[in-house]
Amino acid sequence: MKRAFLIAATIAAAGPVESGDITFSKNITPIVYRSCAPCHRPGEAGPFPLLTWADVKKHALQIVDVTRRRYMPPWLPESGYGDFQGTQKLTDAQIRTIERWVREGAREGDPADAAPLPKFTPGWQLGTPDLILQASRPYSLSADGPDEYWNFVLPMNLRDTRWVKAIEIRPGTARAVHHANVLIDRSRSARSQEVIPGSGFPGMDLNIEADTFDPDSHFLFWKPGGIPWEEPEDMPWKADPSTDLVLNVHMQPTGKPELIQPSVGLYFTSQPATKFPMLVQLEHDGALDIPAGVRDFVVSDDFTVPMDMDVLAVYPHAHYLGHLLEGYATLRGGSRKWLIRIPDWDVNWQAVYRYEEPVFLPKGSVVSMRFHYDNSDENPRNPNHPPKRVVGGNQATDEMAHLWLQVLPRGTADRRRELQEAIMRHRLDKYPGDFSAYFNLGALEMARGDKEQALVNLRSALAARPEQPVALNTMGAALLSMGRTDDATEAFERALRSNPRYTNARYNLANALAENRQWERAAAQFRQILDETPDDAGARQHLGEVLRLWGDDLAAAGRMEEAVSCYRESLRFRADDETLHNDLGAALAKLGRFREAVQEFEAALRLDPLLDAARRNLQSARDVLHRIDEQKSGR
Amino acid sequence: MRALCPLFFRTIATVALAAAPQTVSLEGTPVDPFAPPAKVRVFVFVRTDCPVSNRYAPELRRLSGEFAPRGVAFSIVYADPAETCANIQRHTGEYEFPGTVIRDPSHVLVRRAKATVTPEAAVFSAAGELLYHGRIDNRFVELGKAMRTPTRHDLEDAIGAALDGRPQPEAWAPPIGCYLADVE
Repeated sequence: MKRAFLIAATIAAAGPVESGDITFSKNITPIVYRSCAPCHRPGEAGPFPLLTWADVKKHALQIVDVTRRRYMPPWLPESGYGDFQGTQKLTDAQIRTIERWVREGAREGDPADAAPLPKFTPGWQLGTPDLILQASRPYSLSADGPDEYWNFVLPMNLRDTRWVKAIEIRPGTARAVHHANVLIDRSRSARSQEVIPGSGFPGMDLNIEADTFDPDSHFLFWKPGGIPWEEPEDMPWKADPSTDLVLNVHMQPTGKPELIQPSVGLYFTSQPATKFPMLVQLEHDGALDIPAGVRDFVVSDDFTVPMDMDVLAVYPHAHYLGHLLEGYATLRGGSRKWLIRIPDWDVNWQAVYRYEEPVFLPKGSVVSMRFHYDNSDENPRNPNHPPKRVVGGNQATDEMAHLWLQVLPRGTADRRRELQEAIMRHRLDKYPGDFSAYFNLGALEMARGDKEQALVNLRSALAARPEQPVALNTMGAALLSMGRTDDATEAFERALRSNPRYTNARYNLANALAENRQWERAAAQFRQILDETPDDAGARQHLGEVLRLWGDDLAAAGRMEEAVSCYRESLRFRADDETLHNDLGAALAKLGRFREAVQEFEAALRLDPLLDAARRNLQSARDVLHRIDEQKSGR
Repeated sequence: MRALCPLFFRTIATVALAAAPQTVSLEGTPVDPFAPPAKVRVFVFVRTDCPVSNRYAPELRRLSGEFAPRGVAFSIVYADPAETCANIQRHTGEYEFPGTVIRDPSHVLVRRAKATVTPEAAVFSAAGELLYHGRIDNRFVELGKAMRTPTRHDLEDAIGAALDGRPQPEAWAPPIGCYLADVE
C-alpha cells in the first residue's frame, strides 16, 4: 500500500519511539495543541486547522514530512547557541511519535485521553487595545507573482505623549501576511515616500529619518501565531503626538487576489520608562557585493561594547541569499558566548528572539556578526536564475546583513548617548565620510549642548549628502540656538526646498522668522503647517502668539485696522487670553468702534474679573458711549 | 454556470462506490472523464485546504487560456471523499480554477494518473494514454522552499509536446504539495 511505502522511507533513520499503543488523543494532542494549533486554527495564519483528529489525519503524511525536515513548526535558531523564550522546536522523540502514529494507522483512540484543548482567544490577544490604528487604504495583493513588501504609514494622532507597553498587529488577511515590523517615525519622514497620502509605499526595508535623539529601543515585530510581547513594566516606549508608526509587511500571494488592511492595537501604561534599552545594529551592507555564482560569501562586523550591558533580544536579518547566520561575543579572556546561530536562514520565518535570561556582556567584549551568503544557482531561494551580482539594498532582489541586538546598559543612568556615540564612531571606521554617522554624532552633540562641535559634524554630514533635509534642519536648529538667526533661516529654507512637506523644518523656519520679528512671513509658515495638519497643537499656539505680537507692533505703529485683524485672528487660537481681549478692545476704541470695544473688555473681565486695565477701559468706553447716546437724544 | 449541490451527496456517492469505483461530477452523478472528445486531456489534482495547489490557480488559468483553444480539455480533480460539494464549489469560484470539476472520491483517477500530491498534473492522449504526470513547474523545491519565479514549466512543455506529437521531455522531479494518500 502506498501509505506504508511512503512512511517506510521516512522512518528508516529514526531511532526508538515510546512503546505501547499510539493514539491521537493520548500521544498527539499534547504536541499538536502546543506546537501547531496556535497558528492552525480558524482566523489565523495556518492554511488549514489542526484541532481535531479528523483535521490532523487529513494532513498526517504532510505533518510527518514537514516535522521531520523541521520546516514545521518554524524555528530557525540552532539549539545550544542561545536560550530563547518560546522555542518552537519539536524534540526528536515527538517527531518519532508522530511518525509512528501515522505508520500505525493514525488512530484516534479514546477522546477521554486527550490533552485539554487550549483556550484560544479570538481577535486581540491582550484584550481591547487603548488605541487601534488601521491602514487607511487596503493594499491589493495580486493572486500570482513573487512575494511583496509594503509599508503602511499609520499616524497616531495623539494629543499627549503616551507610554506604550505592548502592541499587537492584526494582519487583516492572516494567510497572506507572513510577518510584519513596526517602525517608529518621530519626524513624519516616511509620509514623504507616499505617492498618494495614505496609500503607503513599497520596500522590504526602510530608513526612517529622525531629527531628535530618540534611538530605536524596542523590537516591534509580528509573526503568525506569536503571542504579543508585553514590555517589562519599567521599559515601555514613548509615543509623541507627532509620532507615525510605519508597518512594514511581508505578503505572499495565495492564488487569489487579497485585500490587505492591517491594524495595530496599542496598549498604554501610565508608568513612564525608568530603564532605557537600545537597539544596537551590527551590519555591513557596504561589504555586500556578491559575485554571481559564489556559494559562500561572508560578511562580517565586529563591535566592541563600550560599557557593561545585558543583551535582551536578537533579530538577525538577511534576504534570500542568506544561508548561515552567526552572532557571538568574544569576552576579554578570549572565551566565546553565542548569541545566535541559524544554519539554514529563511527570510519567511525571520523573527525576534528574546533570551530566557539576559546575556551579560562586560565592557570590552567584541560582538561579531558572520553572515554567509549563497549566490549560486543551487540556492533555490536565489531570486535570480541564472545568478546575478547582488549588492546591498532595500529591495527583495538586493541583500542585507544586519544583526540587531536589544541591549540594556548596566547601571541606573540612561547611557544611550554614550552607546550611540560608540556605534557611530564604529560606523565611521567602516564607512569613512558616512552621512548617517556624522549626522548622528552631530545630533548627539546638539543634545549635549555642544553646538560648535555639532556644527562641525553636521557640515561633514552635508558634505556627504549636500541637501539632506534632516541634516539641514538640525544644522538650522544649532544656528538658531546660537543666535545666528539669518543663517538658521537659510538652512531651514534649504531643508524645505529638499522636502516641502517637512513639518519640523517649516516649524523651525517660522520660529526663526518670528525671532527676527518678521511676523508676516512667520505667520504664513505656521498657516501652511495648519493647512497640512490642522490639529498641530504647537503650530496653533505659536501662530496665535505671532499674530498677537504682530498686532502689538502694528498697534504701536498706529496701524489700528491691521492690528485689529491680527488680534482677531490670534483670538481663534487664544480665546482665553484676557489681555489680548483687552488690547483688541483698546485698538477698537482708538478706531472709534466703542460698542465692539465694550464687548472685548467685557470678555476680558469674564476671564479675569480683577484685570484692572480692562475695568478702567470698560468704564471709559461706556462713558464715551453714554455721552454719544446723550448727544443723540439731545438732538 | 453554477451547479446545484445535492443535499444527500454522500449517500449517493456511497451507493455508486459500492457498485464500481468511478469519478463523479460535482453533483455526484457518475461521469467518465475520458468521454468528452479532446486532443489532449489535462487533469490537475487539488484540495480545498492545500495552500500549494491554491497557489497554482493563476498558472492553471494561464495554461488553460493558452491551450484550451487548441483542443486541450482541462479538469480540476478533487479527490477528498469527505469534502462537501458546497465547499468545492466555493473553492473553485474563489480561486477561479479553469476547466470542469471532477470528484474522485475513490481515487480511481488518482491511480490511473499515478498522482501522489496536490497539485499534480496528468496529461493523457486522446486515446487515454498517460503521457506525463508530475509537477506543474519548479516553483516549489520542497514544502516551504519556493523560487521567486519558476524557471521550468514542466506541464506547459508536456502539453506542448503532446499536442505536437513530440516525445515527452525526459527530466522529471517529484511534485511538491499535500499528499493525496492523506485523503484516501
